Amino acid sequence: MDLKISAVKTYLNDVFRSIFRYGKMPRDAEGQSFAVFNNLFLHIHPVKVTRHSLKPTYTFGLGLISAVLFLVLIFTGVWLMFYYIPTVDEAYNRMLDLRSSTNFGFVLRNVHKWAAEAMVVFVILHMARVFFTGAYKPPREFNWVVGVFLLLLTFGLSFTGYLLPWDQLAFWAITVGTSIAGYVPVMGEDIRSFLLGGDIVGQEALIRFYVLHVVILPGLMLVLLGVHFWRIRKDGGLAHPSENEDASAGGGE
Amino acid sequence: MGYQDDAAAKSDVDRRSFLGSLGWLGVSISGLIAVVGNLLYLKPTVSYGPASRIVAGKPADFTVGAREVFENAQFALVREQDGFAAISLVCTHLRCTVRTSEAGFECPCHGSQYDRNGSITGGPAPEPLDWYKVGITPNGELEIDKTVKVSQGTYFNI
Repeated sequence: MDLKISAVKTYLNDVFRSIFRYGKMPRDAEGQSFAVFNNLFLHIHPVKVTRHSLKPTYTFGLGLISAVLFLVLIFTGVWLMFYYIPTVDEAYNRMLDLRSSTNFGFVLRNVHKWAAEAMVVFVILHMARVFFTGAYKPPREFNWVVGVFLLLLTFGLSFTGYLLPWDQLAFWAITVGTSIAGYVPVMGEDIRSFLLGGDIVGQEALIRFYVLHVVILPGLMLVLLGVHFWRIRKDGGLAHPSENEDASAGGGE
Repeated sequence: MGYQDDAAAKSDVDRRSFLGSLGWLGVSISGLIAVVGNLLYLKPTVSYGPASRIVAGKPADFTVGAREVFENAQFALVREQDGFAAISLVCTHLRCTVRTSEAGFECPCHGSQYDRNGSITGGPAPEPLDWYKVGITPNGELEIDKTVKVSQGTYFNI
C-alpha cells in the first residue's frame, strides 16, 4: 500500500517537475532568477532591475496599463463576437440586444467601450512619459518606432471599432473619416475605396471594418507588442538617469 | 590575367552566393506578385451599393420651380424654365448629406453653403455640388444616372 502511494507521489512529482523545472520558488536569489527566467509567463520580468524602475512614479506603469487594457479588450471583444453580426440589417439590433437582452451583455459592451477609450489615453500618456524620461534615445530608438506603429494600430482599432454599432454616430463618423482619407495626395481615393470596398459606407464597408477590427489589426498588434516588450529587455530595461555615465556598459543581459 | 586576379574574381561572386542571390531574386519576385495579387483581390470588381440609376417619375409630376429631394438616392430633382437637373446632395467637403435651404443648400456637419445651382457660397467645401445626367426612359419617365456627371447649368429638356 505504502509502495503504491509513494509510486503515485513520484509520478505526480515527475509531472510537476516536467512543468516547473525548478520546483517551488527557490529561496536563494540565483534559484529565483532561474525560476523566473524559465517560466513563459514570468520571464517577461527582468531578473534584475535598476533602483529607478522600482519607483512607481518613474513610469506610472503607463505601458503596463495600456497592455492590460489591450488584454481586457481582447477578452470582452471575443465575448461580444458571440452575439454581434456584421450585417447592415443585424448589426444595430444586435448592439441593442447586447445592451438589453443578453445576460451581462451591457457590462461587456461598456467595458469594451471604456477600455478602448482608456487605451487611447494611456498609450498617449505612455508615449509622453517615454519622451519626458528620454527613453526614446539610443539604444531604444527602434523601440520608439515600434511604439509609434503601436499607437497607429491603436488609432486604427479605435476607428474601425467605431463603425460596428452601425448607428447614426458611427455611420457619419466613418463617412467623414474615410472622406478625410480621400484627401491624401495621389492615392487618397484608392485608400478610401480600399477601406469602404465601394463608394459609400454600406455592407462592404461594415464587413471590411469588422475583419480589420477583429483579426488583422489585433494580429499585427500582438506581433508588434511582442517585439516591443522583447526590445525593452534587449535594450537594457527601463531608461535611467545614470545611463549616460555608464553608457559604455551597453544594453542587454 | 594573373593568378591573383583569378582569386579576387573568385572571392567576389562565388557559386554559392550567386545561387543564393538568384534564390532571393525568385523569392522577391514571387513575393511582389503575391502582394499585387492580394491587393487586387481587395479591389471589388462589382459594386454592391444601391442602384446608380434612379427612375424619378413623370415629367408632368414636377412644376416649374420645383425642387424635389430624393433622400435615399441623395440628389435633388430641380425643374426650371430651361428643363430638369439633378443636383447631388453629397457635400464635397466630407460627404455629409446637405439639406435644402432658402438660399440653396447647406451642410449640417461643417457649415458649407451652396446656392441653388450648387455653387459654393461659404464654408469649407472645395468644389460645387455635382450635377447628374437626367434622361428619359422609353415609357416617358425621368431617369437620373448618378455615374454620369454633367457640367453645372446643363438642363434636360423634354
